Amino acid sequence: MSAATQSSSTLQRVLRVASPLLLLAILAALPFFDLGPNRTKVLFLTFLWITTSIAWNILGGFTGQVSFGFAVFYGLGAYATALAMGAGLSPYATYPIAGLVAAVASLLIGLPAFRLRGPYFAIATIGVSEATRVIMTNLPFTGGASGYRIVEQGPFRQTDHYYSALVLAAVALVVSILVRRSRFGLGLRAIRDDQEAASDAGVNPYALKLAAHAVAAALTGAAGGVYARYALFINPEGVFGFQRSVLILLLPVIGGVNTIWGPVIGGSFYGIIEEELAARFPQLHLLLYGVLVILVILFEPGGVMGLLGRLRRLFQRKKAA
Amino acid sequence: MATLLKIEDLSKRFSGLAALDKVSFEVREGEIVGLIGPNGAGKTTLFSIIAGSQAPTSGKITYEGRDITGIKSFRAVHAGIARTHQITRPFKSMTVRENVEVGLQFGRRGSVATLGKEAMEILELVGLHGAAATPAVNLSVGDLKRLELARTLAARPRLLLCDEVCSGLTESEMQSILDLLRRIQSLGTTIIYVEHNLRAIVSTCQHVVVLNFGRKLAEGPPARMQNDPAVIEAYIGKKSEA
Repeated sequence: MSAATQSSSTLQRVLRVASPLLLLAILAALPFFDLGPNRTKVLFLTFLWITTSIAWNILGGFTGQVSFGFAVFYGLGAYATALAMGAGLSPYATYPIAGLVAAVASLLIGLPAFRLRGPYFAIATIGVSEATRVIMTNLPFTGGASGYRIVEQGPFRQTDHYYSALVLAAVALVVSILVRRSRFGLGLRAIRDDQEAASDAGVNPYALKLAAHAVAAALTGAAGGVYARYALFINPEGVFGFQRSVLILLLPVIGGVNTIWGPVIGGSFYGIIEEELAARFPQLHLLLYGVLVILVILFEPGGVMGLLGRLRRLFQRKKAA
Repeated sequence: MATLLKIEDLSKRFSGLAALDKVSFEVREGEIVGLIGPNGAGKTTLFSIIAGSQAPTSGKITYEGRDITGIKSFRAVHAGIARTHQITRPFKSMTVRENVEVGLQFGRRGSVATLGKEAMEILELVGLHGAAATPAVNLSVGDLKRLELARTLAARPRLLLCDEVCSGLTESEMQSILDLLRRIQSLGTTIIYVEHNLRAIVSTCQHVVVLNFGRKLAEGPPARMQNDPAVIEAYIGKKSEA
């Protein structure tokens, strides 16, 4: 009996490592099977939503600091890539710059905002987000409200964009796993559980929250950069819009906050539902989406991951009986 | 013995109300100092200020000859002052062992080489080694108190602040916690111990400071404090003249 359990747990461990790699291999191989431009685009956007979901979860999930202001990082990343490409840089060199710009912005926002707690922090991030949008709308060298057009030399190859987004999502997932398992991640959990007790145990909550914010912002900024190069045209209303901040928050919530795979599931959900249904039923997809959020909040705060955990326990109980 | 902690004229006012009023006393290295007084005397406030959870309105705290008045609590921990909480505050998403690892990883300056081994040693000291993998939320009240102690000990403090570690415990649980405090003292840690239970104080402390309405009422060896008329009056009231 115990030998059987042991071998099954070894099998589980192998599966846990092998299945993400297999998934990555399949996704990497997909462009060779002529998906067509529409499906490629949906997958491309899905990878970006997965990235922002994972990023948001590092601050909102692991650290418990709910921010409504992540569009700031997405937008700044998008503009950083746009301007850097405009200055003649290779697009791949602009993604780290986009991440860096967003991380610096996160520190400037975090230094005052993390003096606040809970709902007050959340409200402050809304203010910062809206203020950034208004500033960008009136900034002359970015084209202001009329937006900024990117001119890329060479032909448009959709698979380049596909791979950029896939690699970024994979990087985000690895970062998220590393954070979770590190000393840093343990400190974030302590802050999430009880900030005073964490401080009394020697954790510096302010410094750790700033660091988590910066990591999350860097990933979100890079996603904004990858998006900008694909979109070829960006404007403040689009990349800095409050709706984007809300979506960056809601997707990981639907998938399951404070887990590794919840944001991946949440991001995939949106990418596919939104893009597939939006074309056919322009109004219905918003309704479906709203219903999903309400269902999660009412019945399963753990999101899809919480639901899966429940099903697994149910299944195990049946097997035991 | 050398003075480890010196409190001078410490006051804390909450919008006019004086929670602490010019309290002064010293703690010598290696002692267990009892801090007693009726409800609302200012014991926990004094504790929070020493541990850096709150800033004083006025006064000065000197620790190891260094002015530490108003430092942040995590810096107090790094300096060697760690506290437990009267109402236990475990990290609820973590196991018992992970709770201790937070103290090990963040409580000290520099990194911990033998994390797993040290965590188990501390759990063994407080008697929780059998529950290392248990989620902290599943512990009994008594075990939660032990976990509080374990987490603070992980920071390897020179000065341990224990806030009512015996409240809500049975007699035998209380005795084993008091034994634990004596063992911690014998390992070289100085302790300030807030307690309601006078018997617990008399049996463990070498020195007692009595607070009442935010002021220091008396201090001295526990046996003398027990018979001090002013202390008795503060606890149970004045004897009737009739």
